[in-house]
Amino acid sequence: MAKKILVSCGTAVATSTVVLRKIEENLQEKGIKADLIQCKAAEVPSKLDGVDLIVTTTPVGDVGDIPVIQTLSFLTGIGVDADMEKIISYIKE
Amino acid sequence: MELGALQTVVNFFLGLGASVLLPIILFILSLIFGAKPGKAIRSSLMFGVGFIGLNLIIGLLSNSIGPVSQGMVERFGLKLDIIDVGWPACASIAFGSNISTLIIPAGILLNLLLLFTRVTKTINIDIWNFWHFAFVGGLVQWATGNIWYGLISALLFAAAMLFFADWTAPAVQQTMGLPGVSIPHGFSAAPVPFAIIINKIIDIIPGLNKIEGDPDTIKKKFGLMGEPLIMGVVIGLILSAVAYMGDGPWTDWLTKMLSTGVTLGAVMVLMPRMVSLLMEGLIPLSDAARDFLQKRAGDREIYIGLDSAIIVGHPTAIATGLIMVPITLILAIILPGNRVIPFGDLAVIPFLVAIVIPIVKANVFRSVVVSTVFMIPSIYIMNFLAEGTTAAAVAADFALPEGANLITSICDGGNWIPAMFLKLAENFWVGNIIVAVVIALLFVILKKKPAAMHKLAGYTPENEEK
Repeated sequence: MAKKILVSCGTAVATSTVVLRKIEENLQEKGIKADLIQCKAAEVPSKLDGVDLIVTTTPVGDVGDIPVIQTLSFLTGIGVDADMEKIISYIKE
Repeated sequence: MELGALQTVVNFFLGLGASVLLPIILFILSLIFGAKPGKAIRSSLMFGVGFIGLNLIIGLLSNSIGPVSQGMVERFGLKLDIIDVGWPACASIAFGSNISTLIIPAGILLNLLLLFTRVTKTINIDIWNFWHFAFVGGLVQWATGNIWYGLISALLFAAAMLFFADWTAPAVQQTMGLPGVSIPHGFSAAPVPFAIIINKIIDIIPGLNKIEGDPDTIKKKFGLMGEPLIMGVVIGLILSAVAYMGDGPWTDWLTKMLSTGVTLGAVMVLMPRMVSLLMEGLIPLSDAARDFLQKRAGDREIYIGLDSAIIVGHPTAIATGLIMVPITLILAIILPGNRVIPFGDLAVIPFLVAIVIPIVKANVFRSVVVSTVFMIPSIYIMNFLAEGTTAAAVAADFALPEGANLITSICDGGNWIPAMFLKLAENFWVGNIIVAVVIALLFVILKKKPAAMHKLAGYTPENEEK
């Protein structure tokens, strides 16, 4: 089953769109399937059902045991590969 | 003959309308900055799609809230006929204005110039938020009828935001834990001078200066209201309950209430989706522009200028945003002479406090006081700017329904910076030269007294940390 990744930022409009598209492209290139869902950071606690990983550009508060990657690499272009490796390590088992 | 042919070509392009013309221009710009053609085509078209989608949603909003505001006038004499359509609409209005295509390359060149002359440390790769600059440009162009005047004001705004980003960077980096980042954001910048003064005043008022605002408690209490869908439905229910009161049998009343509630909920959910399509369309251009800037920055110390979206997740921002929803609505009703119905931008008040957080040391009580005091002039500014904003919307091909209300947005329509530029346009050269001089002076002060300036913006020097 495809893993579920929540991608969040302040508005679910600007930065998270960039992050989501970049992750999607990267995963496609590597042939890895995942469900990517975009939301506001404030909504994250109410959308945790079945989520395997959270990637965010802004703090997300209490999410229990779900791993969180807070990163700006997809925006600045610096450190994208390292973050992609991290993301893949979480969703591949 | 040739002139006639040129005229035909120009008219042809202008006649295409924003949803066609913008993708074409975006595509060309992306290629100039070195994006891949295949990707650029798809994204440019997506930008057009977002534009069309947003147009539909604004139509939905004004069709639904138009009668509500009429009802308020008829039944209560409350003349609330300016709709806060929200920043997404303003952003696309700004991008739809013909100045937006100039401000992106011009803004990037200005940034490079200021970077190489060591005036600024920030490279603003947040091309998306160039819409704030385009918005100012559009207003000035509307007032003066001169696109170059618009461009000059827009560039001054862009330069001011570079100063602002440099100034607040150490505080933001420290409070948010984001090394190397600065925030050149046209809306988040606006309340900062207010915040500094109000915070100092609270410091000296006994009692008030002891109040501690803890964000987490507030977030839990207001939980559900934080969701745009619920916020839209609740506001829709309340507004329509008031507007349609005593209008026919109670079943009609209830029907209208419920349908307005669900429609406004829909607007709150759909509007950001449409804007995220616009954003998606900008990705190749903003990536290409980022690489272009970074390649030329060399190895000097730089801050990467990003959207304040990366810091509004801070609990204080979210908590303040929630408390400010009812406060803003109440202010709109009690402030004499106000004609604005706050709606679309109620969801983005966290952006207002984002950079205030370091100044008030994350204290929610203080950030609410700052936001409330800021909101009062902001509401009057919205009244002042509504005509220009609406005219810009019409110029950008937004189909406002016939006889429709004026539109505005708290975010930029209620922001003193665009209002200042519009006012200065009455005496363009004198006003804009003064602004240029002030910006230059601010950069000089920042260079001469960095420690004091950074502390003012909320930075805690290491030797003072507990």
